[in-house]
Amino acid sequence: MEPDSGDNGMSTVAGALASTASINRKEKAVAASLVEMCTVHLGSTLFGVPITHILEIVGAARPQPVPLAPVFVGGLVHYRGDVLTTVSLRQLLNMPPKEGRQDLLVLESAGGIFGLLVDSVGEVLTVSSADHEPNPSILDERRRVLFAGAYKLKDTLLVMLDPEQLEPMRLSAARAA
Amino acid sequence: MDELTREFLIESQEGLDRMERCLTDLEERPQDAGLIGDIFRSVHTIKGTTGFLGFKRLEKLAHAGENLLGLVREGKLIANREVITGLLQLLDGLRSILKTIETEDAEGEGEDVVLIGRLEELQLPAQAAVKQLAHAKVSAQASSAAPPVPPAAEIKPKLPLAEAPAPTPDPDQGAPGTTASTQGPVTASESAPVAALSTPAEAENDPARQRAPIVGTAAESTLRVDVTLLNRMMNLVGELVLTRNQVLQATSADPNMTLLSRRLDMVTADLRESVMKARMQPVSNIFSKMPRIVRDLSQSLGRRVRLQVEGQDTELDKSLLEAIKDPLTHAVRNSLDHGIELPDVRLAAGKNPEGILKLRAAQEGSHVIIEVSDDGAGINVDRVRQKAIERGLITVERAAHLAERELLQLIFLPGFSTAAAVTNVSGRGVGMDVVRTNVEKIGGKVEIDSRTGKGTTLRMRIPLTLAIIPALIVRSVNQSFALPQGALSELVHIPPEQAATAIEWIENAPLYRLRGKLLPLVFLDRLLMPGVEHKMATERDNFIAVLDPDGRRFGLVVDGLADPEEIVVKPLSAVLKYIGLFSGATVLGNADLALILDPGSIAMKAGIAMREEGLVQAAETEVEADAAKGLEYLLVEAAGRQAAVPLTEVLRIEQLPVSRIEYIGYRPVLNFEGQLLPVEDSGGVLAAVQDNPKAQIIVVVCREGNRHVGIAVSHVLDVAAGGDLFEAGTAQRTGGVTLLKNRVTGVVDLGGVAPLPAGEQASAEWSQTVGTMA
Repeated sequence: MEPDSGDNGMSTVAGALASTASINRKEKAVAASLVEMCTVHLGSTLFGVPITHILEIVGAARPQPVPLAPVFVGGLVHYRGDVLTTVSLRQLLNMPPKEGRQDLLVLESAGGIFGLLVDSVGEVLTVSSADHEPNPSILDERRRVLFAGAYKLKDTLLVMLDPEQLEPMRLSAARAA
Repeated sequence: MDELTREFLIESQEGLDRMERCLTDLEERPQDAGLIGDIFRSVHTIKGTTGFLGFKRLEKLAHAGENLLGLVREGKLIANREVITGLLQLLDGLRSILKTIETEDAEGEGEDVVLIGRLEELQLPAQAAVKQLAHAKVSAQASSAAPPVPPAAEIKPKLPLAEAPAPTPDPDQGAPGTTASTQGPVTASESAPVAALSTPAEAENDPARQRAPIVGTAAESTLRVDVTLLNRMMNLVGELVLTRNQVLQATSADPNMTLLSRRLDMVTADLRESVMKARMQPVSNIFSKMPRIVRDLSQSLGRRVRLQVEGQDTELDKSLLEAIKDPLTHAVRNSLDHGIELPDVRLAAGKNPEGILKLRAAQEGSHVIIEVSDDGAGINVDRVRQKAIERGLITVERAAHLAERELLQLIFLPGFSTAAAVTNVSGRGVGMDVVRTNVEKIGGKVEIDSRTGKGTTLRMRIPLTLAIIPALIVRSVNQSFALPQGALSELVHIPPEQAATAIEWIENAPLYRLRGKLLPLVFLDRLLMPGVEHKMATERDNFIAVLDPDGRRFGLVVDGLADPEEIVVKPLSAVLKYIGLFSGATVLGNADLALILDPGSIAMKAGIAMREEGLVQAAETEVEADAAKGLEYLLVEAAGRQAAVPLTEVLRIEQLPVSRIEYIGYRPVLNFEGQLLPVEDSGGVLAAVQDNPKAQIIVVVCREGNRHVGIAVSHVLDVAAGGDLFEAGTAQRTGGVTLLKNRVTGVVDLGGVAPLPAGEQASAEWSQTVGTMA
């Protein structure tokens, strides 16, 4: 589908929808239009998180480790009066831990607010759903659940993350299964 | 649900609550016109408002009740037991419909024919006697037939206004026009045509009249606030407290900021107090539910009970109040079912056939005590023992060792119930353990006292607030953790060189001899990070925090202690709650996050099982038996001599560098948490270390009358029960000495510590002296 002015109008509507409720359903509406993605670097891969899910980006977070927590838990951070549980994308993808500073995305999902620890946060890109392709079948099963396909950029691929799938309770349920 | 309906629900519920209180009072004073009027208005308001909201079922039921109440109000019917029971049923009926409206936004399909029939039946004696019956009936039909009229025409414009010839009532006129309402609606509708006119006016006037006193007095100065908003405010205030702590730390060096940060400090403290106060509610909110329960139960159980309530104004955080509602109800039910005997049994025992059930609330420091006591049969300790053995809760040998009081606490164990038959009131074996679990969940404690034939008292100790709790900050695995002080009974320090002998092992179970009894130990680092090599106890400092959650006594070993702090509890996400060891998280003064340890779960995870409780309790029994002989004393050593300080007077024990001691003239004083404490040094401890400002001394802070004094000592040795000593020959008890561990030991005379000079002039003088001396 070609992005045109009509599609732009839809994205505004979708944005408004997202702010009210039903984040899940909105995903489908957005898929037919332009999407704004916050890019995230992790190792050599470029990931994208739809900005409609992002509440805040916190630079150089210092998470407090939680003993006995599931592996993917990156620790706790203090965020506006609440204590947020963070998910470490590195630990989730079984990558070696990174030395030095990490950035934190505060994400909102149907299951609540949580943090996502990444190596660093990059710019915001507008991508078109026309460039989107689903997860390739050669991806391992675990990643197939976490990733929501990829956008073909000019010189690289932007792997889309689905915040709903990254929610800690959901991850913990998936691990138990 | 629209705003109007929501407001109606809130108002109706308040009205019904008031009605419930009045009804139970009415039973004692059936002639009280004020009470009857109150009840009538509650029902009438509901009826009036339902009309224009279109809740037909509710209106019909309220109407039937109003008719009955009308007769009572006019004195044509006596508010006897049957009538009150009927009215209470009406109350329940109305409540259940309101509940349905709240959840489903519709009043549901049910029929209230039976209840309405019952209410009409109750009117019969009056109808037979009173001639005006016909009028009452007519007016009843008229008012139910009359179309409901909205308070303002714009709400339902389609309503046929022609049928209500009265001018559209103006709410502004209605509100102050309370005089019109002195004319009762039933009397006003003696004749049918008038009724048709008066009903709309009445339906309009009455809510206004109901609101009028509130508008006049309370509404101007009070405001309904959503609890979630209050919770949010509490959260934000907690946040502000933390930010303030950080600002204070960051600006402490800058003299320009001192004034500003001090003001921030004060404002924050005030704000915190105000918000906490806003969350407080009087216990009367839950106490007021009890008369009804007592009444219904005592009737169904054939008991005669008088309820006495004390300390209704005692305030408690709203969430805590909610949390103790069920335990309290349960305790009241238990008292009625198992405590207070049947009237003839009481008579035979020489008691007043009417039993007394007493509810008492009082604040004690940072706790609220709630007591449920009855003057019933008490708990038969032998039955408890027998039952506990039968149910396999304790062994025969252990049971034989337990003192009466310990045996009584067994009723809090899961699966314990002494009721011979299962009644529908209580006795299903899910009783007291639920009470205990619920109370302990909010950081409270519960205990029971009973004397056979005299009665039983159940006492709940509830913390004033949940959101901010005192905690000790401990260190382990290079992290800080907060340990709630509620479960902490004492701390023991074992330096590395003593660890090898002080910590003993049975295979791989570490134990410590605490005053001669073995205390199971749990190493926090090993628990939190299993499978990792940890430093041996002999390579580091060990601090044993002696904890006693739900009777599972154990020592938690940590590697470091920091200061105690008032912490703001933040909930953990579900995925971390699942770990089970942490009850929340908090932000410390240095902006670090700390997890809050949950002593109960740690005990369970470490396998400190309930079955050990019997053992521990037996051990405690002995201590208590010792204690029964005399006062307990803190045994201290000052410059080589031993002395005793009455333990009940000891507030805390502080270790500090001798340089903290300052002097007023020759008097040593300690600036302790901003207050000046006279320090008694009859042992010469201070003199002995005066040349070495780095030396550590110990100050035992004691209570003496209403002042606090400090005693300088070099060591704290033990806690032991003292025995009385008698002078040879005269056999008189000697004062000032006690027999402690078979040694005659002098008791420190706290009253002998000379008071500090008082008065403004004197204090000005001191500050000068202090200045020059320090």
